[in-house]
Amino acid sequence: MEKYEVAVIGGGVVGASVFNLLTRKGVNVVMLEACPDVAGGATKANSGIVHSGFHPEPGSLMAKFNVRGTQMFDSMCKRLGVKYFKTGTLTVTNRAGFSELQRLIKRGEANGAGHMQLLNRRDLLLLEPNIADGIECGLLASNGGYVSPYLLTIALSEEGVINGGKIVLDYFADRIEKKGKLYYIYAGKKVVAAKMLVNCAGVKAGYINKLVGDTVFNCNYIKGEYIILAPEEKDFVKRPICMLPTEFGKGVFVTPTEHNVMFGPTAKCCKPDDTGVEPESLDYIKQQSLICVKNPNFKKAIKLFAGVRTKSGFDFVIERSHKNPGFYYAIGICSPGLTAAPAIAEHIVAMMKQDGLTLHDKTLVKRDVPVEFRKLSPAQQKVLVKKNPAYARIVCRCEQITEGEILDAFKSPVLPTTIDALKRRLRVTMGRCQGGFCTSYILKLIESKLNVPMDKISIKGPGSEITLGNIKTGGIYEN
Amino acid sequence: MKTDVLVIGGGPAGIAAAINAWIAGAKVILIEREYRLGGILNQCIHNGFGLHFFGEELTGPEYATRFIEMLNKTTARVLLNTAAVKLTKKDKLFVVSTSGEHGLVDIEAKSIVLAMGCRERAGGAIGLAGERPAGVFTAGFAQKMINCYGKHIGKKVVILGSGDIGLIMARRLKCEGADVVGVYEIASTSSGLKRNISQCLMDFNIPITYNTTVTKVEGKKRVTGVWVAPVDKNWKPIKEKAKLIKCDTLLLSVGLIPENDLVINHPIEISPLTNGAITDEQGQTTMKGIFSCGNVMHVHDLVDNVSHEAARAGKHAALSALGKLRSGKKIPVQHCDKIRYVQPTSVYKSDADTAHIFFRVKQDYRRAALIAYSDGKQIARKNCMIVTPGEMQELEIIKTRLGSDLVIKVEAF
Ligand SMILES: Cc1cc2nc3c(=O)[nH]c(=O)nc-3n(C[C@H](O)[C@H](O)[C@H](O)COP(=O)(O)OP(=O)(O)OC[C@H]3O[C@@H](n4cnc5c(N)ncnc54)[C@H](O)[C@@H]3O)c2cc1C
Ligand SMILES: Cc1cc2nc3c(=O)[nH]c(=O)nc-3n(C[C@H](O)[C@H](O)[C@H](O)COP(=O)(O)OP(=O)(O)OC[C@H]3O[C@@H](n4cnc5c(N)ncnc54)[C@H](O)[C@@H]3O)c2cc1C
Repeated sequence: MEKYEVAVIGGGVVGASVFNLLTRKGVNVVMLEACPDVAGGATKANSGIVHSGFHPEPGSLMAKFNVRGTQMFDSMCKRLGVKYFKTGTLTVTNRAGFSELQRLIKRGEANGAGHMQLLNRRDLLLLEPNIADGIECGLLASNGGYVSPYLLTIALSEEGVINGGKIVLDYFADRIEKKGKLYYIYAGKKVVAAKMLVNCAGVKAGYINKLVGDTVFNCNYIKGEYIILAPEEKDFVKRPICMLPTEFGKGVFVTPTEHNVMFGPTAKCCKPDDTGVEPESLDYIKQQSLICVKNPNFKKAIKLFAGVRTKSGFDFVIERSHKNPGFYYAIGICSPGLTAAPAIAEHIVAMMKQDGLTLHDKTLVKRDVPVEFRKLSPAQQKVLVKKNPAYARIVCRCEQITEGEILDAFKSPVLPTTIDALKRRLRVTMGRCQGGFCTSYILKLIESKLNVPMDKISIKGPGSEITLGNIKTGGIYEN
Repeated sequence: MKTDVLVIGGGPAGIAAAINAWIAGAKVILIEREYRLGGILNQCIHNGFGLHFFGEELTGPEYATRFIEMLNKTTARVLLNTAAVKLTKKDKLFVVSTSGEHGLVDIEAKSIVLAMGCRERAGGAIGLAGERPAGVFTAGFAQKMINCYGKHIGKKVVILGSGDIGLIMARRLKCEGADVVGVYEIASTSSGLKRNISQCLMDFNIPITYNTTVTKVEGKKRVTGVWVAPVDKNWKPIKEKAKLIKCDTLLLSVGLIPENDLVINHPIEISPLTNGAITDEQGQTTMKGIFSCGNVMHVHDLVDNVSHEAARAGKHAALSALGKLRSGKKIPVQHCDKIRYVQPTSVYKSDADTAHIFFRVKQDYRRAALIAYSDGKQIARKNCMIVTPGEMQELEIIKTRLGSDLVIKVEAF
């Protein structure tokens, strides 16, 4: 059985941030994740907005960690080689909403959210030509922007592993025992032991607290659904555009990502594992987005998805247990949890230090930033192809991802073994054809390079395999 | 690398274009991203290809092989495992950057034939709600997994959309022992060929339900069922009538989209109706020197038509490269509102002896006469007992009969 100083349960952005920070402080840490890849929960399905911090109630943990998180984002992303688009965010409204914008500015100032500016329609149009006709004023918050939440989490995880941490995937913690000074964390018959335990299990955080026999917090689960458009619509907006928040939440946004533009989220009470998109929601999203923007081309939709927020009351719950020494939990980490993650990690690790965990600074081993072949200059491309001809073999034609990049991913410290894991790292199957062309090649590559029989290759873990056995044995099929 | 004509794509369109460009006297290079020629035909192991061209029923690979053999007799150069990634213009030449077996190679050409085929529309594009489990396949992808990789993909299957690939896959899956619950089509008629409805569905007792769609997919890891609901006149699902059908697989046959990404930033006019380039009778797009044919221009249901169309495009691409292209007076092809689109959109008064006009009607018409008028006179006509949107129609125009205009109409007879 393996023993660690710290075990982190949950490989979302919060867990990965805690894990990453601990590895950089020389702590012997393991991160346990139920899915076949990190970022399998809320972290893979959200708006990806780095909020400046004018939304949360002053004095709340949300306000504190949001603002601190935003401050940390730039240097964190630079260190990891993750793209952070520091575009600022825009909140727009009709004339009637003007006083509300002023209130938001006050709140932002109270929280320390950085530079904010009120804009009239003319200024807004210069920034965002596609805002809706009824929009008369807006609030530009310069801090913040957008990021790929899963690439960030993958990078945090990879850097953690390179710096001595361990990640166990496909590890669903289902029993926890405390014996002597150690927590024993079981997943079926597997077991891992650690002196300290951090619960970052997202929608399952309540369940983990129960396993430890600790305080149980009531949580609500709120689903957010999205529509993504094809890459050619990407320039529709340049920064996240939000409507005025209502009592139900921040409302439907129009958000750019590095490659697409998305519309959403909705906010609907749901079961914790319900990430289905409701047919009715599509019309709702389309309708709501018209409040902010004009003529979005929903004919170019390529994908729908949904993520689940976990809420416990009105604020994050980030505490050390008083019953179980060495047990820490982050519960109800809804929006702005992505933004707040680095600050939450800082806070949790500080608590652990107070409680006796030794930290020491060590020299950081840098993570190799994955090659994005299509973004290189022709001269750089030629050099790479000379070294490795696989960079000239295009596997995903929509996104122009090469075999070389897939082979690189197979060397990642957090090995992608499912189609979704490869998709999040490289964008294969994420384009217009949604995998119609390239999935068969990817199956072949996983089969031959990772030695997984094709019938065992899945989209997102056991039970989601793509092929179901041979039609006939023998015969002349492609190999 | 330098050439007169560069053909992009080695399916039936690209092959026929390359052969005919070579026959017309040009130096030809054909590039294909796959490891073999044949395009989509390689996965179509059913028969029904070549009835018009060879008077026989061939399988897809057989049909392709006949053309590949003809191509092998020419000195056209074929580069396999080579994908075109970028098209630029340098003075009067086109430069196509390629990526593949030979590394990164730029090919300079005097004219280009686009023959990249099409891709399938996926679930997100039709607003398929629900979870995102394994077991949702586009029909062509499923066809490839079964026919080229020899893999089962599902045991109990629902098919959404009645495109030809979906119909063919209904039969194929049934033959491999799957339970094919049925085909659901949102329109009131099939978008596939009549012959496929009868040979792939009726002969195998597979039901097809019209005016009905799938609204939602159930299942987290693997499909466990789909919600099926009838639709109203505006194709809005009637929620109260939705019912859950248990299945482990959903096949989507909801349309093909020409793969024109390569030319998206060029001044080539793309028809919003076909998503393919608008071309004249010679197959030339609105950008001089660039020709288009096959499924990248408009989606075909018969490969024989593809071969004919591509032969013309290849020939004229060669003439254009050699500076011998004749043009003359262009006459736009107009049509009545029963027709969804026509291709080509213009013909020449002289040049060839005949012109072939392809078109699709908007809905089923019984006892329909397809008529070409010029200066108010009938110059070509076909009487059909029924025409459907799923079947491409064709009229041959004899040029000597052509006056100052050309209008295609569908009339009752
Ligand atoms: C629709 C939506 C939009 C949002 N938009 C934004 C935004 O724009 N900006 C922003 O800052 N925030 C946003 N958020 C919030 C943000 O996404 C979350 O706060 C953040 O992702 C939470 O991360 P996490 O690590 O706590 O949870 P998760 O990402 O859910 O991670 C928990 C992990 O624990 C694993 N796990 C669970 N149980 C077990 C177990 N028993 N054993 C092992 N592993 C287990 C899960 O598999 C999962 O990977 C949004 C959230 C949603 C849902
Ligand atoms: C499932 C199915 C069933 C059919 N059944 C019948 C039938 O029974 N009878 C019949 O007559 N017709 C049938 N058809 C129609 C006919 O097969 C197609 O219309 C025809 O194959 C289209 O030919 P194409 O050359 O335009 O496209 P494709 O066959 O798709 O060929 C395009 C080629 O271009 C290559 N390519 C694309 N982009 C690039 C690039 N950038 N660089 C290099 N290469 C590239 C592709 O790899 C591909 O090989 C069927 C079609 C399908 C899909």
